[in-house]
Amino acid sequence: MSTTKDFIVEQLKQQIEGFKSSVKEQTVGRVIEVGDGIARVSGISEVMMSEMLEFTSTNNAQINANNPEFNKIYGVAMNLEEDSVGVIILGDSSIIKEGDEVRCLNRILEVPVGETIIGRVVNPLGEPIDGKGEINVEKYNPIEKIAPGVIARQSVSEPVQTGIKAIDAMIPIGRGQRELIIGDRQIGKTAIAIDAIINQKGQNLKCIYVAIGQKKSKVASIVAKLTEHGAMEYTTVVLACASDPASLLYIAPYAGCAMAEYFLDKGEDVLIVYDDLSKHAVAYREISLLLRRPPGREAYPGDVFYIHSRLLERACKLNQDYGGGSITALPIIETQAGDVSAYIPTNVISITDGQIYLEPDLFYQGNRPAINAGLSVSRVGSSAQVKAMKKVAGKMRLEAAQYRELAAFAQFGSDLDVDTKAKLERGKRLMEIFKQGQYMPVSIAHQILIFFAITTGLLDNIQPDKITEFELGLYKYANTSAPDILKEIIEKRDLNDELESKMKKLIEDYKSTLEYIK
Amino acid sequence: MKTTAKQYAQYFYQIVRDKENEQLKDAVKEFAVVLKNNNDLAKANQIIELFVEIWNFEKRIVEAEITSAKKINIKTEELLIDYLKKLSKAEEILIKQKVDQSLLGGVIIKYRDKVLDGSVKATLDELKNKLIK
Repeated sequence: MSTTKDFIVEQLKQQIEGFKSSVKEQTVGRVIEVGDGIARVSGISEVMMSEMLEFTSTNNAQINANNPEFNKIYGVAMNLEEDSVGVIILGDSSIIKEGDEVRCLNRILEVPVGETIIGRVVNPLGEPIDGKGEINVEKYNPIEKIAPGVIARQSVSEPVQTGIKAIDAMIPIGRGQRELIIGDRQIGKTAIAIDAIINQKGQNLKCIYVAIGQKKSKVASIVAKLTEHGAMEYTTVVLACASDPASLLYIAPYAGCAMAEYFLDKGEDVLIVYDDLSKHAVAYREISLLLRRPPGREAYPGDVFYIHSRLLERACKLNQDYGGGSITALPIIETQAGDVSAYIPTNVISITDGQIYLEPDLFYQGNRPAINAGLSVSRVGSSAQVKAMKKVAGKMRLEAAQYRELAAFAQFGSDLDVDTKAKLERGKRLMEIFKQGQYMPVSIAHQILIFFAITTGLLDNIQPDKITEFELGLYKYANTSAPDILKEIIEKRDLNDELESKMKKLIEDYKSTLEYIK
Repeated sequence: MKTTAKQYAQYFYQIVRDKENEQLKDAVKEFAVVLKNNNDLAKANQIIELFVEIWNFEKRIVEAEITSAKKINIKTEELLIDYLKKLSKAEEILIKQKVDQSLLGGVIIKYRDKVLDGSVKATLDELKNKLIK
């Protein structure tokens, strides 16, 4: 007993011996005005732009003697004026009073990063809010960082498999790309992003979901869904919900990006979803107006373009000399009544490498995901597709485009020639194939199989309303009776004549077991 | 356009800068009349505050607040003044003393917008945080 006691005492002694206290000169100031999540501070003459500041509250009602950390609230210097500093308060501003002391911390705002944040739900300051205890981290990354330069980058070459057939085939997303998801409220923007995250299981891609100004209930159900599909094993959720102050909403995407950059620096691939940037712009507008910066179009401040461009520019694909990691960004923008020409949507459209445009009409017709294939583009194009997919999808894009044109035209005419009729029939089946349920991502091998089936005309004698049933049946059949073919597709990533004939035989074998095909 | 308190303070500093006795009294009187005519007498307190700031800055005077656990003796005070003179490059140091027993030992020096916390309490807190880690 006594030996352990001695041991503990000895250890403590050692630790205390090594301790050296140093008196540091600190710069302090006083709050002269506080309100609406903004404080004006006098003093702190040497403060840096966007430096982290610490408020020490003297409000007696809030003082918690056991936990001095409780009284600490952080802020960020945003406006450096002649004789005061405008500070945004990251937390509850109601306990800060006029005359409170403000300390400079001599560092730019930082968030904890590392492997341990995977699988957690954190706030934009990196503090856990999922009730799973403290997060042990060793490293902190500044939330604002200049994006990698031209020398460090490489063009996008590897695909991100979203598991959504319409996207993987027609609007391929590459690792390091920035693809905007845009559309009205309630038509499945978040669903696409979540499906993409769910499909990353075993794809060697870390995911970060940044919820900006979302309802807590919505985020809770998203986290539950991700957990259910085992996606939280590689996902971090950064949450700044609707009830948080605008300052937290504003820093959330930068914090998420700082966490992603930790993995980028290690040469890993990351997918980051910003849901959504229109609320981020609104939060920034609120801060700017309260800081009395002059308003511009739609009352947004002059630098509203820059807040999004500097954020999305941090998405990148690094070349091998710099570790070869990548950050793929999927920003989401909510439009009002389909108006893509509003200020923020046009800004973000011009920054990103393409957009996925979701349309209410398609959604209510039952085409879900409601992707408008005509307006959606991916500027990276087919260089982010595996060869096998390139072969089958190239033809399919053309057929889909032809169908859209003919379908509008065919509404007026009754007598159509055989060729047109065939194209229309093929198109109908194609549209059926692009329909897909939520949380049901399709693997790349299955996608290639079904696309191969439609482009080679093997589905022409199946009624359009039976296509979905056939598709699901085919996947099951292929899994059980020909797993080697699926494996071959994934391994070779390309199609040759031999593999094509094998696939053809597989599909025909399955068709012969069905009764509804004459 | 309205004249701000800061502008008044600067103006006041300029007129009293190198005047003495009678001249000084006249200048102050003159300034008070200007304030009255401009209906700005309400700003007087603010102006005085700002004027002291400007005066101290121009004459290189630093006001320092020293908080300690016990009242410090004259020898230590002189040492601290010398130290502060070097640190802040000031010519004159005005000291305000405060006693706070919760510091346990050491001193906290505040001057301009700087704080030097050399108290035993702060050192112990630092040690505590380190041991927790």
